[in-house]
Parts: sequence; structure tokens; C-alpha cells
Amino acid sequence: MPSPRPLSVIVPVRNGKATLSRALTAILASELPRDDYELIVVDDASSDGSPELAARYADTVVRLTGRRAGPAYARNRGAELALGEVLVFVDADVMVRPETLAGMLKLLSDHAGLDATSACHDQTAVAQNLASQYWNLLHHFGEQTRAGTSGNVASPCAAIRRRVFLAAGMYDEWRFERAALEGIEFGRRLEDSGRKVRSSRDLEISALKQWTVRSLCGEVWDRSVLLTRSLGYQRTRVAVPSEAVFTLSRVVAPAFAVLCVVAFSAAVLPPANGPVKLAIVLVGSIVLNFPAHRFFAKARGIPFAIAVAPLHLLMQAISGLGLCAGWVMRDAVGDREPDAATQAYAEVGLETWPPVPRTSGR
Amino acid sequence: MVPVSIDDSTNSDRGSQARAFADTIVPEERGVENRDLRGPASERMRQPAMRRRTPRISLIVVLPENHVVSPDRLAQGLRSHGNGDIDVVVACAGQPANLSALQRSVGDAQFLLAPAGTSIEDLRELAMRQAPGDIVTLLSGALLPATATDAELFMTS
Repeated sequence: MPSPRPLSVIVPVRNGKATLSRALTAILASELPRDDYELIVVDDASSDGSPELAARYADTVVRLTGRRAGPAYARNRGAELALGEVLVFVDADVMVRPETLAGMLKLLSDHAGLDATSACHDQTAVAQNLASQYWNLLHHFGEQTRAGTSGNVASPCAAIRRRVFLAAGMYDEWRFERAALEGIEFGRRLEDSGRKVRSSRDLEISALKQWTVRSLCGEVWDRSVLLTRSLGYQRTRVAVPSEAVFTLSRVVAPAFAVLCVVAFSAAVLPPANGPVKLAIVLVGSIVLNFPAHRFFAKARGIPFAIAVAPLHLLMQAISGLGLCAGWVMRDAVGDREPDAATQAYAEVGLETWPPVPRTSGR
Repeated sequence: MVPVSIDDSTNSDRGSQARAFADTIVPEERGVENRDLRGPASERMRQPAMRRRTPRISLIVVLPENHVVSPDRLAQGLRSHGNGDIDVVVACAGQPANLSALQRSVGDAQFLLAPAGTSIEDLRELAMRQAPGDIVTLLSGALLPATATDAELFMTS
């Protein structure tokens, strides 16, 4: 059998042909010697030839067939095959910097008490459109201002000791069929069990994914609903304050106060003064989000900050609605669960390949 | 999907329903698995993908153009990755001069002969298309362990 290496890099992918090649090339261009790590790509039932593309670079390619199982499931299957003492999970739509993998390994080697660490988004999203730039900077803003406190062990790049990962029950593949917050849930679970998880400002990755306003709306909605429906807003905010949803929703309560002021002014101002009321809302929003807008202006200039102000407001509105919807869904229909067939397979312990999602992570 | 008989509705609780559901599936899977393990790799590769209990494992050995490898070294390298039921694909750029000897040393392997000058990356991608495994390990011929008979060198075309 092949001899174990210090590091196992695991890349889950689903229909990621557009970015996979750049992501894997960046890993291979790492400062870390090639013999020090194995590269495992887990394909989550892609239909675009991602496994064949992955074979150009990887040591091992795992093909999951059937329907989509999600990145949490894919990462778990990769971890089961991995031989390295440290597992690094890298998304297929990010590029690690040459020093990132070596830095992660060094961090875990130098700090015996540290169990997991994660990298941050840098300021340069590869996609140049406004939505992609905005989303990347929003992540960067949250991660940089809250660095050192994050318990996120997945997106976009995180390292964890293998024995800790297995002992903690791996990612929750039961509830997280889609790429949203599974790393936050796992990080919080680790911290609840006394493990130490930290993000590092010095370890950075570049995002490759191209976002549109529509896909951003869906992403923010999904994350927000999941936060209140499955994870619990307050507890998660304490554990992972760098999450983008918290950056967006931190001003929800003050925004509510501004709305009250506007409602009050409606009683005082004559009905024809609509523009004045709109101006009050916009000024109030900018004041409440001043740290974020100042950051956008510093990073990309004042025109960019002005251009993303309405987008930021839209995302905040969607996030607020999503948080409320998740809260209602939690009480009305309960937590997320897989479909009935998957539950039935799991209940009888059916052995099959790919394996039935497990509930051990809960 | 295997249809679930509606006659099983007498089992009202979900656990019973689940077991009944699984019972309808498992015998078929066992049959598939047993049939799957009998024939040689080349026959199994032609079978359509069916439900299995364990993953099918493939090993791809990539031999770039002008790479030197002896049959013993290749056979030992494959043995070091396990003697179990593994589908082996040996991908070569150009036809190795000792192709017959290599084929004899790993009789059950599928040899993929790409045109001379094919890059390693293209070889890996081509071989991946041929490999039937759920878990595919890719190995460079240059990293195969050396053997005592390695002094006898064979050049690919």
C-alpha cells in the first residue's frame, strides 16, 4: 500500500469543470513538496466530465453515482480514503495561494492545542462582475474583522487533524445536502466538544466562482433560512461571527429602528414628501452599514462602494426575510431531513455504494 | 429503482416499511455483486453500472513516452496496491517495445495505447474514461517500486 503522507487534500466537486482545473493547478503549484500530500478529488455525480478532468491532476478520484449528495457527503467519503494525518478541504471553485497549504500544516504542527484552522478570502475575486466582487469582499470583510474567532471548518479552505475529524463524527451529511453552512455546523460541534478551531488572516484563497445578482439572492436566502431553521442564530453567531449572514444581519435591529423613524415621520411629513422619506431610509442604511461601505470604498474606490450600496441593501432585506422564514419553518415543519427513501435506507442500515448518508454527525 | 409493493401497507410503522423496502432490494444486489465478481476485468467493464455493496476499485498506471519499466517492476507495483479485485488500466504513450512481456506480467490488465507524444495529463484523462471504478487511483510509472531485476530496462517506443 502507498505510504502515508502528512497531508491529504480533499476537493469535492459537482459539475465544476469551469473552475476545477484552475483550483487543482493552484494546489499543485503549492510550496509544499508534492510528496508531502495526496490529492483526492471526490466527484458528486457530475455530468460535465469533471472526474476525467480531475484525473489529469489527482492521485485518487472518487466517483459518486446517482443523485447529488452534497459537499459534506463528498468530503466525508474523501476523508475515509485519506491517509494523511491532516486533512485539508478545498472547494473546487477557489485557488489556494502557494503558501496556504504549507502555512496550514505549519500552523497545526506548531500549535499542538489547535485542532482545525481555516483560510480567508482575499480581496481579489477572479470574476470581475459586480456581484462576484461584492460577495467576495463581503466575505473578506467579515473574515478579516472577525479573524481568530471563526469556527468554520469547510468553505472555502480548511485544515483539520484527521483523528479529530473522525472522532467528531465528520460533516453532517444528513442535513446538509447543499453547499451551505455545513462547515459552520461542524466547527460549532467541534468547539462544543472542547476542540480549538481558529481562522487565520495570513492564510488566503482566491474565489473563482462567478455570481450573479440572482444566484446571490438564492445563496443569501438559503444561508439565512438554514441559520435559524437548523443551526440557531444566536449560538452560531457566537461561534462563527465572520459568516456573511451575520455581516448582513448585524444591522437588522438598528434598521428596524430607522424604519420606525420613517413611519413616525410619515405621520408628520406631508404625503408628497416621498423622496424625503426615501432619503431618510438610504442615509439611515448607509450610516448603519458605514464600516462595510468604508471597507468597500477603501478596497475598490468610492464609485464601487456607491454601486454596491443598493445590492447590499437588497441582500440585507433578503437575509432578514430568510432569517424570519427559517424561524417560522423550524416551528412549523421542523429541521431539514433527507427524503423518505434515504431515511428508510438509513433506518435498516442498508449497505450499498455510494453509502447511504449517515446521521453520525448530529 | 425497485418498486415497492402497495400490498405491504399492512406494516404501518416506518421501520417495518423500510425493512420491507430493503428486502425487495437486497437479494437483487447480492446477485449483482456475485455476478460482478466472477468474470475478468474486461468483461466486468462492459457491464452497465448497477448497485453494489462495495465500491469498485480501479488502478491506472501511466507510462509516458520513452519511460523505462520492466514487467517485474510493473507487476510488483500493482501487487503493492493490493491483490484484491482491482481493475487495472495501463496507459502508454506509444507502443512499448516489451508490450507482450508487460501484458504477460499483468494478465488481467487493460492496456491503453495512445499515440506517441500524448502528454501525461492526456493519458491520465484517457485512462480515466476507460476505468470502470468508483475509486480510481492514478499512479505514475516512474513511481513504481524498484525490483531486483530492474537492471533490465525496456524502452517504450
